[in-house]
Amino acid sequence: MSMTRRDLFKLAGVGALTASIPSVGFSAAERVKKAEAILPPSKGSRVVVCGGGWAGLTVAKYLKKENPNIDVVLIEKRPNFFSCPISNEWLAGLVSLDFISHDYNQPASKYGYRFINAVVVGIERDKRRVYTNHGYIEYDYLVLAPGIKYNYDAWFKGDKNMAYYTKVNYPAAFIPGSEHLALKRKVWEFEEGDFVITVPPGAYRCPPASYERAAMIAYVFKKNNVKGRVIILDPKEDIAPKGPGFRAAYEQLYLGIVEYVPKAQIKEVDPVNKVIKTTAGDFKFADANLVPPHQAGELVWMADLIAKDKDGKPTGWADQDPLTFQAKADPRVFLVGDVIGGVPYPKSGHMGNSQGKIVAKIIASRIAGKDIKPTLPDNTCYSMVNGEPQEAIVINVTYDYNDKEKKIVPKPKVINERSESLAKATYEWAKSMYKDMFA
Amino acid sequence: MDRRDFIKTCGAIAVASFLDTKFFSEALASQEGFLKLYSKAILLKEDGTPLTEKDIAPHREYIFFYPFASTPCYLINLGDEVKGAQLKLNDGQTYLWKGGVGSKKSIVAYSAICSHQWSYPTKDYAFINYYPPDKPSETTKKAGVIQCCAHLTVFDPKAGGKVIEGPAEVPLASILLEEEGGKLYAVGVLGKDQFDAFFENYKTDLRKEYGSTAKAKELVDKCVVMEVGKYVKEIIRC
Repeated sequence: MSMTRRDLFKLAGVGALTASIPSVGFSAAERVKKAEAILPPSKGSRVVVCGGGWAGLTVAKYLKKENPNIDVVLIEKRPNFFSCPISNEWLAGLVSLDFISHDYNQPASKYGYRFINAVVVGIERDKRRVYTNHGYIEYDYLVLAPGIKYNYDAWFKGDKNMAYYTKVNYPAAFIPGSEHLALKRKVWEFEEGDFVITVPPGAYRCPPASYERAAMIAYVFKKNNVKGRVIILDPKEDIAPKGPGFRAAYEQLYLGIVEYVPKAQIKEVDPVNKVIKTTAGDFKFADANLVPPHQAGELVWMADLIAKDKDGKPTGWADQDPLTFQAKADPRVFLVGDVIGGVPYPKSGHMGNSQGKIVAKIIASRIAGKDIKPTLPDNTCYSMVNGEPQEAIVINVTYDYNDKEKKIVPKPKVINERSESLAKATYEWAKSMYKDMFA
Repeated sequence: MDRRDFIKTCGAIAVASFLDTKFFSEALASQEGFLKLYSKAILLKEDGTPLTEKDIAPHREYIFFYPFASTPCYLINLGDEVKGAQLKLNDGQTYLWKGGVGSKKSIVAYSAICSHQWSYPTKDYAFINYYPPDKPSETTKKAGVIQCCAHLTVFDPKAGGKVIEGPAEVPLASILLEEEGGKLYAVGVLGKDQFDAFFENYKTDLRKEYGSTAKAKELVDKCVVMEVGKYVKEIIRC
């Protein structure tokens, strides 16, 4: 007898658990009567940075470096930092959890910004206030760097039960924390069958992540003699970026283990019966890493700074100036990292770090009453494709501004030939990035 | 004298082939704060005898440690005369680099600590390296450059360590060399050195390597020069 979705939810008691899908349960206006200021008014200019990921951490540190007198407050809901970059290597057991975990105290104490471990529940731009679960904070400038959120509605049309079920049973693991731990457990406990990975459509966090993850999972299967396959369902026509490098790895290292399926746009996800229907066919799976479409993190929606398309519909990404990262609707707000839209920048840790330095310079100069010409960010992204020996490939992109066409033009450089040298460089890249943000 | 007058006055002399260190030190340091003189350290071969110009083969990468026991530098003979240059920072500040030394003015030296995020050659790996004219970088296709594989910044050793491309915002610090009676000496560091960040960020590694931070920070009065490949187990090129 096959179990229906309703039966399964009854058994699991899922209906009662839907509250754990993140949402803001009350408006800032409701909280304002109850909330009190967390901090006394600042003597100088105060910059509040919401989000302690690669972009937010960098803005906070470099603002203090630019001008130690700026009162910088970093608000982050997680108590500790877990790095998404290098998490695929950790997934495959190549690095320890220590390598990708860091504490927020070190940079806060070293650089002199204030770290507040709190959840932002509301933003009132007219009052220049950020409301948290501990009270509100007033700002002169606000930086929103919340990263991404998952858009399960694109799959389940508002069915919160199905979204919750999918999130818990087949976590996307593109937002740091428990999901990654769950995915690692699943990969190492996997015994046989098809393990499906869905690549999100449109813009999403870390474009090569799913392909690297597939290689790392395949490496684990190979190492553990698992009779399993990793099936990548990609809406794109081909692997990108670093397509030739990933393809060579799949064909030369994981033949029969990795199956790449292009043009697989998702039509229906049925996590209960473990079936995904796509334009490239239907796929049953034993287990999966189901990654829904991404959007800018909740805080950008909260602040009403999401761009609209020509039909007036939200694009899902922030509406910011392409060069200064300033919100088009509010000169006091800057949007940085994975949230941004309308620019040819990948959503990556390195890019967030690079943008963070630019934004810090711009805000510091505004506070000093000066205007500076913004520089353009850059991106370097290593991807591990083999575990024994460790081998990686790399893409580096710098950008030029075409003043005539008012366009940012990417200049990519790629090494698709995997090597042990690049694997070592991967860790050197990561170590120095962590040092830049934390040490 | 304002900065503009100073540059005008000093430019003609400074960009010439040789600059009196004392003048350079007093004038430039007081005006710009870019030059730091340390102990005058003789460059030696591995056998302990003084290093001479002929010991430095063109386009090879040599390593020595200066001004501290743990701060690596690269010594390179670029083959042809390397003229002086004026380096300009993002904030508009400028400083003068005097160019190469030696009979052909072709020998230069730079701090091997990347000015971006401080990658440096350890005994295990060197991610920042010189790419000779016949061995261009696979990634950037550039040759005759110093490139760091950690984040792909490319520096120009023929122009005072200027950033050609990549994320670094300041040039590589250059090591001031002098030649006296056929012997080579390191006398100071020019540019934005990264020593504070280096000592801060690699505290644990340096303690392990040198026994204590104090040992790592000892100033040197002689530097043993060797090919990088002899010091480093693996040279990582990209």
